[in-house]
Amino acid sequence: MKAIIITNNPMVLEEYNSIYEVDFIEDSLMAVLLKTRDKIHEGHLLLSHPLSGSVKPNETIYKSVIFSKDKGKLDMDSLYIIESSIETARKFINTKKPPTWSNKTLVDFQEIDYTLITSGIESMTQFK
Amino acid sequence: MRLELGNIYINDVKLSDTTKVENGVLYVNKEEMLKEIGGDEHIKSIDLELAHPGEEVRITPVKDVIEPRVKVEGPGGIFPGVLSKVDTVGSGRTHALKNVAVVTAGKIVGFQEGIIDMTGPGADYTPFSKTHNVVVLIEPVEGLKQHEHEAALRMIGFKAAAYLGKVAKDLTPDEVKVYETEPLFESVKKYPDLPKVGYVYMLQTQGLLHDTYVYGVDAKKIVPTILYPTEIMDGAIVSGNCVSACDKNPTYVHLNNGIIEDLFEKHGKEINFVGVIITNENVYLADKERSSNWTAKLCKYLSLDGVIVSQEGFGNPDTDLIMNCKKIENEGVKTVIVTDEYAGRDGASQSLADADPKADAVVTNGNANETIVLPPMKRVIGTTEFVDVIAGGFDGSLRPDGSIEVEIQAITGATNETGYVTLSSKGY
Repeated sequence: MKAIIITNNPMVLEEYNSIYEVDFIEDSLMAVLLKTRDKIHEGHLLLSHPLSGSVKPNETIYKSVIFSKDKGKLDMDSLYIIESSIETARKFINTKKPPTWSNKTLVDFQEIDYTLITSGIESMTQFK
Repeated sequence: MRLELGNIYINDVKLSDTTKVENGVLYVNKEEMLKEIGGDEHIKSIDLELAHPGEEVRITPVKDVIEPRVKVEGPGGIFPGVLSKVDTVGSGRTHALKNVAVVTAGKIVGFQEGIIDMTGPGADYTPFSKTHNVVVLIEPVEGLKQHEHEAALRMIGFKAAAYLGKVAKDLTPDEVKVYETEPLFESVKKYPDLPKVGYVYMLQTQGLLHDTYVYGVDAKKIVPTILYPTEIMDGAIVSGNCVSACDKNPTYVHLNNGIIEDLFEKHGKEINFVGVIITNENVYLADKERSSNWTAKLCKYLSLDGVIVSQEGFGNPDTDLIMNCKKIENEGVKTVIVTDEYAGRDGASQSLADADPKADAVVTNGNANETIVLPPMKRVIGTTEFVDVIAGGFDGSLRPDGSIEVEIQAITGATNETGYVTLSSKGY
């Protein structure tokens, strides 16, 4: 399936930029979720869960989400999932903002986000 | 399938020159044990420390907790597909060392979590403050990648549990419990008037530090399938899940799943417990659709009257939980879902990231956002260097006196979603 990845994770950009259309935004995890919602309203189909991983949205600062490249009618299931995800992420971030991380820890978070989205890509590409 | 589980109750663990059990005391030859579980090229050094209930000890960051078990009779060995051949396990006889746990601890990535306090207020929140813990600490070689580090630590934990479990092979258990699941048609014939109940066991399967293995297979690659409950008691399911300490299922919990225990307790009396359907919690939405379609299909195919569905983890799996619930209910099968909550520090926020009117029978295992102050301990096994940055910690979590203010999500097993906890909520 032709896909777009929205991410703020430089490791995902580096690894997948030559294979997929990667929409890289240098902004917060919440900005990625809000951009995801915009894409859903434009008619793209959500392909991976926006709350991937058990690392909480006020711990990690990275997020990657996969969409269909094709656009169609607004998909209500996709919209429902992203709205619930934004509500959940806001609940965490409003309680406590992510701390200032060391560079090493940031790379660890990038690696986790990268492996989470890779597991989604592996599912997507196992039957081309 | 019939399993005799022989429980050997241990009341102390001590280091000695021979590994053995005598008068309820487990003696451990540290040198021999380190030799047996070591040898991984990725690991620079391994060490063991003991932690006992009531001691002023804090263990962190905890990765996995494992109960020592050994296969005494019947096909296969403990942890099939991982340490033993892939024979189908779950029948014959198995011995378990009760009140003892192997705890693996170590820093895999820069943010870490998982606290076990052996005394004080934090001890009330974790079942592993009541076990005598053999803590395995490993130091990786320089530059080891995170996934190789996690895999090495995971395997060393299983080897440690198997090493200790071996001493139970020739012991006479303090008690023997018998668990039996008959083939479906025989079971229905035997209990024609009892409701047929299954257990949908959701496994964490999202990627690095978020994985679970079934007979050695990465569970994100499976489609839902049926297991006899006793296969799980022999280690058919093991944890590679290191994130979300409060509501992940350590291997210990897979071996001692409370829902399976309780369903067996009522089997043949109030219900006919026919088996376990395992399923996964993947990142890719089509995988979620497929897996929840299959759990619902299997529930219908087995003509179940009701199922218990348990979740593992937070966020993404909420969607799997609700998909499972909704689709199974739509097949005319009643569900009770078992979860925990992230309802904010005051408990007033929405608990889950998904919901549905069909999810009208819910058991909660507590609010993971509740905060707690953990007083300083005399000894720390591992390191508290990362306590500011663990899940549920915040700037200044680690105070100058060594006390820690965190959400209970940082405590290993605090809100476990199979109910292997003391927390819950009741409606009156």
